[in-house]
Amino acid sequence: MAKKPYQPPVQSKGGQIFDSFFILALVYAALLTPLLLGLGASNGATKHQTAPTWESLHQNTTMAQQWEKLGYTPKTAAPIIEQQFDYSINYGYLLLTIVVIGGYFFFMLKASRKEYLEVIDEKFGDDSH
Amino acid sequence: MELWKLFEWAAWIVSAILLLYIFVDMIRVGAEYDEDLLLSSREGADELLEAQKHD
Amino acid sequence: MTDATTASAPPQPQRLQLLRVLGPVHVWALGVGIVLVGEFMGWNFSVAKGGAMGSLIACWVIGLLYTCVAMIDSEVTSTVAAAGGQYAQAKHIVGPLMAFNVGMYLVMAYTMLEAADALVVGDLLHQVAGQFGYAMLDPKPFVVLTIAVLAWLNYRGIFATLSINFVITAVAFLTIVVLFFALKPWDPTAALHHKELLTGLPYGWIGVIAAFQFGIWYYLGIEGTCQAAEEVRSVGRSLPLGTMTGMITLLIAASLTWYVASGLVPWQYLGQASVPLFDTARLTGSRFLEVFLFVGTLFSAVASANGTITDAARAWFSMSRDRYMPQWFGAVHPRFRTPFRAVVFLVPVAVSFAFTGLLDQVITFSILSGLLGYTFMSFNMIKFRKQWPLGSIKRAYTHPFHPVPAITLMALCITTYFATYLGYGSQLLAMMGFYIVASLWFHFHRYKYVRRADQFTMPWPRPRLSR
Repeated sequence: MAKKPYQPPVQSKGGQIFDSFFILALVYAALLTPLLLGLGASNGATKHQTAPTWESLHQNTTMAQQWEKLGYTPKTAAPIIEQQFDYSINYGYLLLTIVVIGGYFFFMLKASRKEYLEVIDEKFGDDSH
Repeated sequence: MELWKLFEWAAWIVSAILLLYIFVDMIRVGAEYDEDLLLSSREGADELLEAQKHD
Repeated sequence: MTDATTASAPPQPQRLQLLRVLGPVHVWALGVGIVLVGEFMGWNFSVAKGGAMGSLIACWVIGLLYTCVAMIDSEVTSTVAAAGGQYAQAKHIVGPLMAFNVGMYLVMAYTMLEAADALVVGDLLHQVAGQFGYAMLDPKPFVVLTIAVLAWLNYRGIFATLSINFVITAVAFLTIVVLFFALKPWDPTAALHHKELLTGLPYGWIGVIAAFQFGIWYYLGIEGTCQAAEEVRSVGRSLPLGTMTGMITLLIAASLTWYVASGLVPWQYLGQASVPLFDTARLTGSRFLEVFLFVGTLFSAVASANGTITDAARAWFSMSRDRYMPQWFGAVHPRFRTPFRAVVFLVPVAVSFAFTGLLDQVITFSILSGLLGYTFMSFNMIKFRKQWPLGSIKRAYTHPFHPVPAITLMALCITTYFATYLGYGSQLLAMMGFYIVASLWFHFHRYKYVRRADQFTMPWPRPRLSR
């Protein structure tokens, strides 16, 4: 026997507008949070040379020639060349990231499954004898 | 120099006209047609089903 | 088929549907159009993360990831032919909350990519004005103009939109091919300097893995072909055909791009360049190539913004039609037969993203949303074959070697999360935070407005579920 189909409430105009803006506000929050916490892309510290030359920047003649064609001198190129990523792993932080992503998928799949069974039962009739 | 300033203004004006057009059209369609008709589309199935019947 | 709900709500005699007018060429134009801009900007950030060789390895490994994506998508979409694409797949195969999340991935990935594309157009014009001696050109009106023109096109109809996209995408692709041949690849020392410019791996193998994150840019968006499913004639044939040829085009374009850029530009410069192919053309010393690649970069950015508007609007429209989002957006234009309210709503959203000045945040958000979507595809495929085994429903296309592509895809996705963690860990967490809060909001609040059985629209038998 199929159960009575679920009748959703009708959403008011105001509610519809509020919901659209709620999601937007959430997106901006996610974009801005890393900035507010002062956590940009984690580039490692750059070591500054006072009087860089192409040699001291480890650029061979061809590289130096291409840099110059692009309009750079050793002084202007130095900040670009010396920029380094820091790939040292902070295991506590890594673990936190794994827990967050794992937890997200776990919760989502569990909740989806519950909702999905409801959909299937309403669509094809209840089959739990 | 003046020419580039002109481009900037032209870009603003053309954008405004196009956006105004779609905005006004959207409002007009909303007023002219029945909301139930506008919301009457159903996901994929019907036309596809027709097509499959003719296969 | 017995159906309790359609019996209680008789079908209306007159119904507005999206127009079914597209062929395989349009599918190709939509898929490749969105992605090709990735060869003109963005992929090169992978060079900063792992060196030039690291970027090439990333290009091929991520190419494998996307081949799995294209295979899986082609099979599922050849059966679930709906405007929501992966959103509609999730709804039918995994469940509503998953579908809500997939819908959000699509809207976010595409709208943010659209903002980034419009910014590229603005920047490029700013640079050109600078070369002509006017360094003060304000990019903002051109950013808005790009979005306004494309939104207008999309509002007016899908056929013209994607026909134009085909032309500009083809021209952009041609510019890469011309640049490649102009550099005489048959004589590798004539114009190119791979021997002198290629260094070892600056960060070792961990840098190669870190480079996977931006390796995604070589291909991000090819899966968007599915969003056109409701508007394609003979979906079962056109969609796999358009998607697969699109994927091949991209593999070729990505390899050519890497080859010419790494043979002319020192890797540290390449790693931070905003328009790397244009810079490569400048280094050839040929005025013609410089102008040609300027056109290519411009066209690819416009084509991409165009395709992302098409896709984001369809995802938003489909979600609204099911009331996952306010149903007001689920309307079809009576004359143009486009999801017009969704198109209009996303215009200010895209403009505001473009004006935040947070380009790397926006790009990272876009990549991560894409990545979450690919993760979904891997288990979606396994569930799909389990719940409806081969033969139980009609599939216009069946991909080979199941479940190898699904498992490969999952493994590559996990590696790419790790790659994002390396260097962009805090962004990763902030964006997961967004999806977690949004999921809770949907599950506990929004879902009450959704009709249950109505979401399942495919004419399939009951799925085989183990309880």
